[in-house]
Amino acid sequence: MSKDFLRISPAFEDIMPAEYRELVASGPYGKGYGISDLGSHKELLEEHPLCAGCGLALSLRLTLSVLPAPEDTVIVGSTGCSALAFPQVALHNIHSLFGNQNAVAAGLKRALKLRFPDKHKDVVVVAGDGATADIGLDMVMQSWFRGELITTIMLDNEAYANTGGQESGMSPKGAVLNMAPKGKKFQKINMPELAREAGCVYVAAVSPANPKRLGKAIRRAILVAREVGPTYVQIFAPCPTNFKFKPQETIKRIKEREKDGTYLTREYISQEAQEYLAAMEGGNKDE
Amino acid sequence: MYGAVKVDEEKCNGCKVCVFACPDPNVLTLLKTKKITVNQDRCKACGLCASVCPKEALTVN
Ligand SMILES: Cc1ncc(C[n+]2csc(CCOP(=O)(O)OP(=O)(O)O)c2C)c(N)n1
Ligand code: SF4
Ligand code: SF4
Ligand code: SF4
Ligand SMILES: [Mg+2]
Repeated sequence: MSKDFLRISPAFEDIMPAEYRELVASGPYGKGYGISDLGSHKELLEEHPLCAGCGLALSLRLTLSVLPAPEDTVIVGSTGCSALAFPQVALHNIHSLFGNQNAVAAGLKRALKLRFPDKHKDVVVVAGDGATADIGLDMVMQSWFRGELITTIMLDNEAYANTGGQESGMSPKGAVLNMAPKGKKFQKINMPELAREAGCVYVAAVSPANPKRLGKAIRRAILVAREVGPTYVQIFAPCPTNFKFKPQETIKRIKEREKDGTYLTREYISQEAQEYLAAMEGGNKDE
Repeated sequence: MYGAVKVDEEKCNGCKVCVFACPDPNVLTLLKTKKITVNQDRCKACGLCASVCPKEALTVN
């Protein structure tokens, strides 16, 4: 899609908010920007109310900066902390009922395919660990079983953060939270393995401690979902507020967990997805 | 409401590592001079940028 749809009618230029004018002048639409271009253009995410040092906000910011085609992307979100940022995102986005995000995204993708048969419209689910691995697990898994051409991104802060700190299936064993004072009794769910077994053709677990790797995984997941099959990216996004550590320690926490082997960065690419990516990635600067 | 981070331009080498660590958008920007500048009004003073800067060019007030 061309950038024309964004242009402001001259008669309205002086009453449009400064943020919108900045987006038109130096936003990322149609530019194919990647992580390395951050800090040099107007971002899709605007000032948001998430906490200082929030790993989820950082992950969302990095994710939005690598979308292969922001002007042709629809994000489907769910309830949780990320939902508080979406009113500030300059992209088509839908807030679905908590847990329904993958069902909504699958229907939307099929409708867009009928409406725009010659175009790629990227439908990307961005939801919390509670929404993805607990309350929405049914819809998530069924969308993978059916081979829906959508990308599922989990912002894994290992808790129900937005409701004050309950344990989720993704909390590590022993995790103590405001509303889980005795510590979690069972293991963290192995979602990347579940995704692979359920039919995802590209699966990655990444973190904002390695922004370039995160960017590469998101981009690959979105490209592969255009034609090959469903894809899943899990982003480790620690929450200083509920896990009660200092906001400046978010990246340090990720590195510690990677070091002690309790949060592994990994990537699985099916044979077919590998062939597809090899054809797409030749000569692309951020890949 | 919040404090804000300050850049020591002498120390900054323009590597942008801080830009990739900030949870808030459009706060850290690379100037044409290859130095980082901070939008103080939007900085939440979390200190993540300072925690990753290899040149110790950032301090939180
Ligand atoms: C159908 C429904 N059930 C429960 C809730 C309450 N609720 C709101 S946010 C939330 C937890 C979200 O946890 P997660 O998906 O991990 O997102 P986070 O806030 O941690 O980013 C819950 C249970 C709701 N809004 N709707
Ligand atoms: S509660 Fe946690 S996840 Fe939610 S905005 Fe605050 S730091 Fe981020
Ligand atoms: S990380 Fe430090 S040295 Fe690098 S650009 Fe930022 S302030 Fe400058
Ligand atoms: S202190 Fe936090 S909000 Fe401020 S510039 Fe650094 S990372 Fe961004
Ligand atoms: Mg969560």
